[in-house]
Amino acid sequence: MNLAPARIGLDQWDHRYRELIAAGLREPFYGGPLRRHLLDGDLRLRSLRFDNSPAALRLWNLLLSEEDRLFEARRKGKVIIATMKDLGSVPILAFSIPNTIAFYPDGAWWVPCIMEQSTCDLKIADERGIDESFCPVRAMLGAFVSGEHFPRPDLITCSVGATCDDFSAIAQRLESLGWPIFWWEIPARRCPEAGEDEVELPGGFLAPGPQVRHVAAELERVKGAIESAAGQKLEAAMLCEGIRKANRVRRLLSELRRLVFTAATCPLPALELLIAEMLAIHYCSDRNETIEVYEDLLCEVRRRVGMGQGVLDDGTARVFWVNPVADLRAMNLLEECGGRLCGTEFLFCHALDEIPENLPPMEALARMALADPMVGPAEDRARRICREARELGAEAIVISRIPGASHCATEGSMIRRIASAALDVPVLEIEVPPISDAISAALRNRLEALVETVHQRRNA
Amino acid sequence: MICAGIDGGSRAIKIVIFDARSGQVLAAGCRDQGVDHNALSTRLFHDLLGELSLSRQDVRRIVATGYTRNSIDLADTSITEITCHATGVHRLRPEARTIVEIGGQDSKLLRLDGNGTVRDFAMNDRCAAGTGRFLEVVAAKLETSLDQLGVLASRSRNPAHISSTCVVFAETEIIGLLAAGALPEDIIAGVQAAIAQRVGAMAGRNIDPPLVFTGGVAMVPGMSGALEAVLGHPVAIAPAPQMTGALGAAILAARQG
Repeated sequence: MNLAPARIGLDQWDHRYRELIAAGLREPFYGGPLRRHLLDGDLRLRSLRFDNSPAALRLWNLLLSEEDRLFEARRKGKVIIATMKDLGSVPILAFSIPNTIAFYPDGAWWVPCIMEQSTCDLKIADERGIDESFCPVRAMLGAFVSGEHFPRPDLITCSVGATCDDFSAIAQRLESLGWPIFWWEIPARRCPEAGEDEVELPGGFLAPGPQVRHVAAELERVKGAIESAAGQKLEAAMLCEGIRKANRVRRLLSELRRLVFTAATCPLPALELLIAEMLAIHYCSDRNETIEVYEDLLCEVRRRVGMGQGVLDDGTARVFWVNPVADLRAMNLLEECGGRLCGTEFLFCHALDEIPENLPPMEALARMALADPMVGPAEDRARRICREARELGAEAIVISRIPGASHCATEGSMIRRIASAALDVPVLEIEVPPISDAISAALRNRLEALVETVHQRRNA
Repeated sequence: MICAGIDGGSRAIKIVIFDARSGQVLAAGCRDQGVDHNALSTRLFHDLLGELSLSRQDVRRIVATGYTRNSIDLADTSITEITCHATGVHRLRPEARTIVEIGGQDSKLLRLDGNGTVRDFAMNDRCAAGTGRFLEVVAAKLETSLDQLGVLASRSRNPAHISSTCVVFAETEIIGLLAAGALPEDIIAGVQAAIAQRVGAMAGRNIDPPLVFTGGVAMVPGMSGALEAVLGHPVAIAPAPQMTGALGAAILAARQG
């Protein structure tokens, strides 16, 4: 049952769901109406507008059922690996071993938003000295302590070094509370010096050979820890297959992004694209379902593009968005103000690039890990943003800061300065807290002004 | 064709009645903002119409801007202050390439093309430390008026260094400075410099002259000098700086016709 694409609220989704069921909608095991998540405490859903397709419903259901899936995995005796800070490399190792799954505890940073701060995660973190001067990812500490959002993992890994000092501090506090952590080090990426061999990374960056070999050795240690937790050896052939599956995920997402960013009429809302991109990091604890979700989304988007249909009016301002938002409502707001996404850089673009399949698998993973925008210089990140914004015809750039997040405290201003100099488009910096209702008018004002500026420039 | 622009700011409501054919401002007025934005706007609007012996039906279109723009029932549509200030300043000072606008609760920096189109803009989003509210707090703390701030600041020989980036903390800092014997004129000059530095941080390294200063704070003597010192360029004050947003809104109303 294909209705015209639209963005609808939760109440409208109730009606839509009944229509879809009546029309014979077939759902996966985690299916059901969106409203059931509200009843579970996901209060923010009342304030959001969603895509009205069955594919989007499946996406949301996969995201919002992850807690259930993790507890179910525990009951079934699966090996559960918590992969902290690392964005996209260790989950590939974990999912390459049968009966082993990975999840991303850092994802708890959205809990205060989704549950509208109705849980005690932040209070728990406060009480343990991790207060609001830290990034909202401190909710992760509360989630471990409360045990409400995921079961105790069999292994916790955490990358440190050049990643995020806030996160390292929070993870250290977690370890002090009785959660042993397997630490692995990722150095700050730098340009090769004279006499060093150069290694090309996904995303077009270069790194010195010794750094790549160091990260490969670190990942080898992580692999050993996962093998111990799983009680199985991870053979090279298994890992190669894991990389191939990861690349399948990435290719599907890449095609989805290409269509969404380049279609004349925007075929998928910004909010659903943000959620879809997040799945690529860790598969929401289910790699096969992630693939199915992407295939459904891609099918729907292709259908819409083919019919020239979309969820927004033609002529909306083309905005390249930098950094994920702590409050999902901000993505709706962009569209309410007359903008659409034409490109994104949510801090994990390396997890969207294909992993080389023609290299020894650990080296391939190491190259990918070193391409992480968070471990490289802000200038590298800014240059990639500028290149993609130019290629995708961005008419404006929004840089969204996360209050308290150390990795974007000054990086946003640096990206703004570089993008302003390199691209002849307006660049707007905003700060989005986990619940942005109190500053909603100010955010709306800035985004409306940005869209007006784009239209003025078009007409000039 | 007569049009109107209403700028519902945080501190004041400003209205311009504009004749699109002659390009002349027929009337302009300003009132302090209050609880009922809508009623205050309506009253001021009708007062201005009364001065011109006009009625609502004589006004073809009304555009609202400013923070209360979406709660002004009189308006046919609303446009942000960024676009309206750019339009208003371009009409008054077509040579302007950079606009600094400081109002009661925020400050903005706009870069314009030669035709008045906004190329880029920045707004303060952290606190009131770069806004007119800072000056109000200081005036109250020093038991003087906004009008007198500039006069006092002009006597400063040793501007105080205000390091706080938050008005509340700055107020505490000022109490400390007074206790340490700092002169009021040095404190005011220090506060003006602090506001200018906040604007300078927004501006970054590349500033295209000529610069025009607008918004209510532009009427405070000494502020343009403080901006010049930080930005390194002459800063011209827009004519009737408090009214440029309303003027721009009226001009845009006329364009929408």
